[in-house]
Amino acid sequence: MKRYYLFLSLIALLFLSCEKDDFCIDPITPNMIIRFYDATNTSNTKSVSNLSVNPEGLDVIYSNESLDSILIPLDVTSGQIIYNFSKGNNQDIITIDYDVEEVFVSRSCGFKAIFNNVTVTSDVSNDWIIGLTETSENTITIPTIENESAAHLQIFH
Amino acid sequence: MNQQRIYKFFIKICFLIVFVSAPAQQKNDSIPKDSIVYKTNYGLRLGIDISKPIRSLLQDYNSGLEIVGDYRISKKWYAAAELGNEEFTSNEDFTNSTSKGSYMKIGVNYNSYNNWLDMNNEIFIGLRYGFATFEETLNSYQVNTGNTILPTQSITTPSTQKGLTAHWTEIQLGFRAELYNNLFITFSSSYKIMVSITEPINFKTHYAPGFNRIYASNTGFGFNYTISYLIPFRKK
Repeated sequence: MKRYYLFLSLIALLFLSCEKDDFCIDPITPNMIIRFYDATNTSNTKSVSNLSVNPEGLDVIYSNESLDSILIPLDVTSGQIIYNFSKGNNQDIITIDYDVEEVFVSRSCGFKAIFNNVTVTSDVSNDWIIGLTETSENTITIPTIENESAAHLQIFH
Repeated sequence: MNQQRIYKFFIKICFLIVFVSAPAQQKNDSIPKDSIVYKTNYGLRLGIDISKPIRSLLQDYNSGLEIVGDYRISKKWYAAAELGNEEFTSNEDFTNSTSKGSYMKIGVNYNSYNNWLDMNNEIFIGLRYGFATFEETLNSYQVNTGNTILPTQSITTPSTQKGLTAHWTEIQLGFRAELYNNLFITFSSSYKIMVSITEPINFKTHYAPGFNRIYASNTGFGFNYTISYLIPFRKK
C-alpha cells in the first residue's frame, strides 16, 4: 500500500501549487480632478499658494502646497462628502453630492465606483474661492465622473 | 506465471509515479507468431473522483462529487462521460463569491498504450464537450477605491444570480492502471477552453462547476483522481 500513499501525497501537492496569477491593472474608482483658474482672466490656470485640503473630520490630503490642480477622492460609502479648502487661514467649504454606481471591473480589481449627478456647492462666504463657473456661480452639476482622463471641476479664485 | 506478475507489478509502478518509457522491444521475424490470443474485458466502467473529497479536506474547496463512466467500444476507443455537482467559493482581494451547480461532460477516450498479455492499463487522450448549469452568489465585496484616505466598507448582503450556463471543450491526458481484477485507479489532467458562458449582470463568473477556475483567457485546468470498477459484459 505504501506506493499508493506516495501517489496520493503527490496528487495533494499538485493541488496546493496554485497561486494568484493576476494583478489589478485596470482603472478603478476615479478621483475628482480639480483645476484652479484665475477669476479675472478665466481661461488661465492659476496656482493656489499655501493650499491645504482635507475631508471634514479627517487628515489633510494636501498641506500648504502651491498647486494648480489636485485630486480628491469621493466617499463611496455615502452620497456626500464635504471638503475644507484652505488658502493660508482663509477656509472655504465645498460640498459634493452624488449618486454612487458600482461597476464590476475584473477578478483582481473587483468593483469600482463611478459617480453620477454630481452637484458641487461652494459655501457662500467666498473667502478665497470666487466661484465654480466663469460667471462666479457657487454651484455646478457634473453629469458623471467615471475616469481620470480630464479635469472634472474648475475653481476660480 | 510468476514472471508475468513481476511484469504487471513493474508496469503498475510506472503508471503510478511518472511513466518512464518502457524499453523498446526488438521485433524478430524469425520467431513464429504466438497463437494464443489474450482476451480483455469489455464493459461498463463506473467510478468516482476522489480528488474532490481530498480537496475539501486540504483546501478552501467547499464540496464536490463526480461520477465517471466509460464504455469500451473497440480495442482502443472508449465512450466516456462525467457527471458532477460542485460548490466552490472564490475568495479574491475585493470579492468573495460562490458558484454552485451541476455539470456533465461527454466524449471519447483513446488508449495509446499497448498492453502486455491480458493487461488492461491505459495512457489515454480524451476529448470532451462540457456543459454546466449553475448559480453565482456574490457573498461580499468591497469597492476598490485605491486610496486609504477615506474609510471603505465591506458589503455583505449576498446576491444570487441563477440560471447561468457554460459550454466548453476539454482535452484530457490520463494514466489508468488496473490495481486488482476490474478495479482501476486513474489520474488525469485536463485543459479546457470555454466556448460560451452566460455571465451574471454586473459581475463575472470566477469558477464554473466542472470547468474550475476561469482564467482571464477563458481557459481552465483540471486534475482528477478516480477509482472505478469495470462491470464486464464480455471478453474479446
